Amino acid sequence: MRTDSALQRPPSATNASAPARIELRGAAKRFAAHGAEIQALSAIDLSVQPHEFVALVGPSGCGKSTVLNLVAGLLNPSEGAVLYSGKPVAGLNRSVGYMTQKDTVLPWRTAESNVGIALELKCRRVTAQARKDRVARMIDLVGLNGFEKHFPAELSGGMRKRVALARTLIYEPETLLMDEPFGALDAQLKLLMQDQLQTLTQMARMTVLFVTHDLAEAIALADRVVVFSPRPGRIRTVRTVDLPRPRDIFNVRFSTAFARLHEELWNELKDGIALGTNV
Amino acid sequence: MPTRNSGDVTGTSTPFLRTTLGVLLLRIAIVVAVLVAWEMASGRLISKFWVSSPSAIFAVLRRWVADGSLWMHLEATVTAIGAGYVIGCGAGIAIGLLLGFLPRTQRVIAPFLSAFYSIPKIALAPLFVIAFGIGIESKICLVAVTVFFLVLFSTIDGIRDVDPDLIESLEIMGASRFEIATKLIIPAAKPWTFTGMRISVRYATTAAILGEVIAANRGIGFLIEYNSGQFNAAGVFAAVLILVLVGVVVTELLTRLERGSAPAVLPF
Repeated sequence: MRTDSALQRPPSATNASAPARIELRGAAKRFAAHGAEIQALSAIDLSVQPHEFVALVGPSGCGKSTVLNLVAGLLNPSEGAVLYSGKPVAGLNRSVGYMTQKDTVLPWRTAESNVGIALELKCRRVTAQARKDRVARMIDLVGLNGFEKHFPAELSGGMRKRVALARTLIYEPETLLMDEPFGALDAQLKLLMQDQLQTLTQMARMTVLFVTHDLAEAIALADRVVVFSPRPGRIRTVRTVDLPRPRDIFNVRFSTAFARLHEELWNELKDGIALGTNV
Repeated sequence: MPTRNSGDVTGTSTPFLRTTLGVLLLRIAIVVAVLVAWEMASGRLISKFWVSSPSAIFAVLRRWVADGSLWMHLEATVTAIGAGYVIGCGAGIAIGLLLGFLPRTQRVIAPFLSAFYSIPKIALAPLFVIAFGIGIESKICLVAVTVFFLVLFSTIDGIRDVDPDLIESLEIMGASRFEIATKLIIPAAKPWTFTGMRISVRYATTAAILGEVIAANRGIGFLIEYNSGQFNAAGVFAAVLILVLVGVVVTELLTRLERGSAPAVLPF
């Protein structure tokens, strides 16, 4: 079987030193819906190294979110294997922080209480004072000052997204999975958040798997951009972004290197979309 | 005259009958008019045997107050409602949480619960009289059973309604089962449980009166049953009037309680 042979292969076959943080080996996902089987993701190979920032771009319905769900352990691959730090993902993967596309802030908690919830858990053991300080810093970072005591129902969609972002970033998970985290934000705020995300992930040396349909965002943030083609989702191109870090998020998009990358990847993306609509 | 801004209506020229005092006086006038009409018609248009008269009813009430029997009966009914309500809520929340956290057990016993719940309470009342006698215990039991099911089902529904995505998001963060229960499921189910508790107040009152009408030796329901047995229309009306007052007080208390706790309970 494919799964077994993939597992029996020594993990050092592809990497000389440490195992990849995330590795998908021929991982595919099919769903049964209304009696029919839908191929959400065809067998893909993808590996993400520790401290690497990888962006997945592609039109909606191309299986990007499925990749995140596989890594988080919310889904099992229909075939192939998903490995995390060299071990197959079995059950929920608690080494990751997952900011889903869906709003999962708790409606009965205030913004600050939502942000601090991960630090209340026994598995972290953070003192109340330390929690308070870190929550205040996070609130400041995502620009929610003045809204600490507001309930989610009293916040705008963009603000709720920022609460969810702060809630995920605050406990500095080893790996960050983000599903279109800034989709609901306006252009200026988006840049601000991207800048802060870059600072934080670089500082905490996090591994990031970032789903977006905004190509400029992907290039500005990522070390590598993976372009997906739709239905059934498969990897079309993987491109290394060799822009030096730290990047000036606000101006990097005006450089010629950026423009060249953008054009090249846009063509890939465009072809993929055209292909998708023909199918 | 040309029509002016509608904002001017809130000025000094508000018609008297639209002010709070005006509305109150209007209401009092209606009550007085009905009472006067009733008093005039009674014995002239319709026999006193059927409709009694306001003066006769107030005479009965005054007698009940004077000999202290009103307080005894009121106390019996209010105790039955209160004790039954507390027991029913407590058991409903406890077992609702238990079944909510044990979905497989709940699946097995769900049909039994529904079957028991679907029995009209009036059919159960005689059973409780046999089991607990005609004293207050059988009424407490009837109220408790009524409240229990309403709170139980609303709690179970509340737990079942928790978004699985929220549970997953906390699990990935590293929350234990206990933390998911205390930080997510219980607060999420709370508004549902409170709704069940709010609705069941009125059912509790009905159940207590029902129990007293069927078999009792005291209570407002007993007063109704006893006086109708004596063909004493004035007594029945007097007891019903007390019920109305109890209902008004309970509703008023509930409204105030809800207003006080609304922000914490209803962030949805």
